[in-house]
Amino acid sequence: MKGGRGGLCAALSVLVVLGACTNNPYPDVDAGKKLLYLPFDEPPKTLDPQVAYSTIDHSVIGNVYDTLLEYDYLKRPYTLIPGLASEVPTPQPLTDGRVSYHFRLRDDLFFADDPAFALDGKGTKTRQVVAKDVAFSLARIADPEVNSPVFETLAKIDGLREFSERLKKLRAEDPAFAELRIDEQYARAGPISGVRVTGPLGLEIVLTESYPQILYWFAMPFTAPVPWEGVATYDGREGRDLFSEHPTGTGPWKLVEYDKRLRIALRRNPNWYGIRHPEWRAPGAIYPEVGESGDAAAGRLAPSAVGQALPLLEGIEFRREKESIPAFAKFLQGYYDASGIIKESFDRVIRNGELSPEMAARGMSLSKSVVPATYYLGFNMDDPVVGREGGDQSRKLREAMSLAIDSKEYTRLFTNSRGIPAESPIPPGIFGYEEDYRNPYREVDLERARTLLRDAGYPGGIDPKTGAPLKLSFDSPDTSAAALLQFQFFVDAWRKIGLDVSIAATSYNQFQDKIRRGAYQIFQWGWVADYPDPENFLFLLWTPMGRTHGGGPNTANFSDPRYDELFLQMKARGNDEKRLELIREMRGILEKERPWIELFHPESYLLTQGWLHNEKPPGLSIPTAKYLDIDTAQRAELRNAWNQPIRWPAYAAAGLTLLVILPGIFTYLRERQ
Amino acid sequence: MWAYVVRRLAYSLVIILGVLFLLFVLFFLVTTPDDIARKAVGEKAPPQALEQWKKNHGYDKPRFWNREHPADSMLVDHFRRMLTFDFGNSDADDTPIWRRLRSGAGPSLSLTLPLFALGLLLTIPLGLLVAFFRETYIDRMGVVLCVLAMSISTVLYIIGGQYLIARVLRWFPISGFDPSPVVIGRFLAVPVLVGLLAGVGDSVRFYRAVFVEESGRDYVRTARAKGCGEARILVHHVLRNSLVPILTQVVVVIPSLVMGSILLESFFGIPGLGSITVDAINANDFATLRTMVYLGSLLFILGQILTDVSYTLVDPRVRLE
Repeated sequence: MKGGRGGLCAALSVLVVLGACTNNPYPDVDAGKKLLYLPFDEPPKTLDPQVAYSTIDHSVIGNVYDTLLEYDYLKRPYTLIPGLASEVPTPQPLTDGRVSYHFRLRDDLFFADDPAFALDGKGTKTRQVVAKDVAFSLARIADPEVNSPVFETLAKIDGLREFSERLKKLRAEDPAFAELRIDEQYARAGPISGVRVTGPLGLEIVLTESYPQILYWFAMPFTAPVPWEGVATYDGREGRDLFSEHPTGTGPWKLVEYDKRLRIALRRNPNWYGIRHPEWRAPGAIYPEVGESGDAAAGRLAPSAVGQALPLLEGIEFRREKESIPAFAKFLQGYYDASGIIKESFDRVIRNGELSPEMAARGMSLSKSVVPATYYLGFNMDDPVVGREGGDQSRKLREAMSLAIDSKEYTRLFTNSRGIPAESPIPPGIFGYEEDYRNPYREVDLERARTLLRDAGYPGGIDPKTGAPLKLSFDSPDTSAAALLQFQFFVDAWRKIGLDVSIAATSYNQFQDKIRRGAYQIFQWGWVADYPDPENFLFLLWTPMGRTHGGGPNTANFSDPRYDELFLQMKARGNDEKRLELIREMRGILEKERPWIELFHPESYLLTQGWLHNEKPPGLSIPTAKYLDIDTAQRAELRNAWNQPIRWPAYAAAGLTLLVILPGIFTYLRERQ
Repeated sequence: MWAYVVRRLAYSLVIILGVLFLLFVLFFLVTTPDDIARKAVGEKAPPQALEQWKKNHGYDKPRFWNREHPADSMLVDHFRRMLTFDFGNSDADDTPIWRRLRSGAGPSLSLTLPLFALGLLLTIPLGLLVAFFRETYIDRMGVVLCVLAMSISTVLYIIGGQYLIARVLRWFPISGFDPSPVVIGRFLAVPVLVGLLAGVGDSVRFYRAVFVEESGRDYVRTARAKGCGEARILVHHVLRNSLVPILTQVVVVIPSLVMGSILLESFFGIPGLGSITVDAINANDFATLRTMVYLGSLLFILGQILTDVSYTLVDPRVRLE
């Protein structure tokens, strides 16, 4: 009898569990809310805006910290619009080649509510954002303990480096100084001469040289205002949070939960100026009325969105997905609103470059956009065989090798054709990119390549010194089978013109060591834009950026006096016809000298659910969530339809289990009797 | 017994020192402070930021031996920190490692405890069952199924389980975690089921072997001769007398339960200590990785000592001297 009751209870429990089972990973109370669900694989390294430099870091802090300037959501080429600043400043030339920019903050800006503001003991939750906060952020960039990765770039701000050195010296000489509150330390270290607070809301930035690209840095989180109270409070001591995990921002969203191994939750920040002052109709706080061609057809200029006060959603939920397959499966179940495409499912999702009928039938959309990035093969110009030392002979060798590489085939084989062949370092969407430009050395022409090789002194690829095919080395920091397969593609292409290129694959560490010693010949690399300016690509071949001698990103160690001269002129100009001419001439030098074999500009494919509106891939690492909208009723209906549990196999399995164990039980009972 | 425990602890100290030294040497055999710093500050950070990071985190010191200040090298720091349980902050994101351990222990235990308990409840009776039916078709079928279960990779169980239970049948979420007691079961159902399936084969084979061997002993023959039923013999006599080998298998893993399961936590998105270990490997986070290895070693040694002690509890003939 006892056993019978137990069995009944067990059976009932199974029925209850099966009745309640669901694959919905979210709390039921969130079902009707306008929350955007997105997966993330790697946790953010830091949420400190002066330090964060990765895409995932920026996807969180870009929403939490507003910047003085930002980008128009729809326009391309990328256009700066005012954010926290009331307008985009124009450069004012000063004496000695210095340049100044006057920023004016909007009045009545407030930080998100945070206990850090209660330092005054009066229970204050927030305070107004003032120019001093921007100056404080710039001081943090110079603070050696903060270790901002953009300090060297922003050291063009007059006095920033000197401030950094003063601070370092004071901390080293006086331990009591290092224990002072952070704002007091900065105050005692003295002002930064190029950061002048001209009033509660006025700030003048003085640069030691003309650098129009500085404005882009004011559209990045590095220069976002942070309150000293947040930095002083969240020091990680005595159980307090770290500032790198406890943002105190000014953006449209506020961080409400930060468990970076599981969930990052953002909700509307009621203190954001766009919510408090919709009547301002500030460019960064209303949905834009104008876009580029194609935006209207893609539904990004729907009357229901245009002119609406932002943000359109209630919040953002980032959920950790370490593995791509479960993450994509959840997207297919409707539990994520947008997703990239995993390679395992590419053929199922994409047919002939378009969305497959199966996915289209589920109402999904595919957004394609060319990422402002360039992947390339580089030659070490310090190398005696392929570099500048070999003069014309080496140049012709590089030209011949360039003519053997088929970028289109490479992207077809290794990126599912997600990428367009690159003709120059400058990708689409960046000033200086010309769609009809064709690099004469970036087409496949093996005959011409063989002729060039003969002219270079390597007829048929044979090195006259050895009588054997010319031996070269392709140096790689990746030893994985997938990477080696890709490098083999290049080796095979060069073999067709008679060259014997071997792959020297080492660990990243050993590769870095080779780079430091200059002991490499050919390599593959890529660069993703920090900001939409040709300077951010063309500086990769500027002499002072040389890798081996200066530790810069010019890994090809390319050096050309005329190129350097043109670069300095181009860098100091705004986008005009003269700048385009300079870029063309620089491009011509690269075309002829071939320090790079430009491969491709990657294309990003983004899948979105039918209920997600206004999505436009930004290309750059910039926040866009405030422009998105969700049809929650449609989402709930489709999620429900796609996720009805199939219960009969559970009952069948339970029955089968009983059949297996019952003989044992009966035998035992019989023996007991 | 206490003298034995103290002696074992002393031996363990030597083992722990060896583990720490090997960990340091092996880690820095395949990576360098530059690699750690590069991962932490990002690919685009200039060399100055890299150097500053190394300085801030003590990776600018000589690796093994500092001629001017012998007590100031990375190796000495490594031993000092571990032996004083001053784990410091993560190299990846500067989070205090103790805080990370505290936050990860709960999710790990919420997975491993039910997995451990249900595993025992499932595999010991199954072991008894196949031992009971030994030399019959049920036993032979059990052998085939167990060998089959042991032959399949855990990853395949995970992917198959996620596909079948979460995608096709849609009973539970594919991955994720929510510590709320109301819904936690929803997230643990598939990983626990998959973990059980992945471990059932070898456990059942082991227990069967133990029970069958015990069934051949004289006291079992005597019990049979006295007319005791086979099932009763198995449950009341054989099981009780097989506790020593069972404890050998079971007690040693109890302290390590807190360290979680690397594979299950990674695939199912459970933010436990196993998942932290994988993150640390991927992020070149030496500070976190060494802590996990160190704690793993300590807990394993603790498990072995507990196993030895537990023998004295179940078998009065055992004396630890």
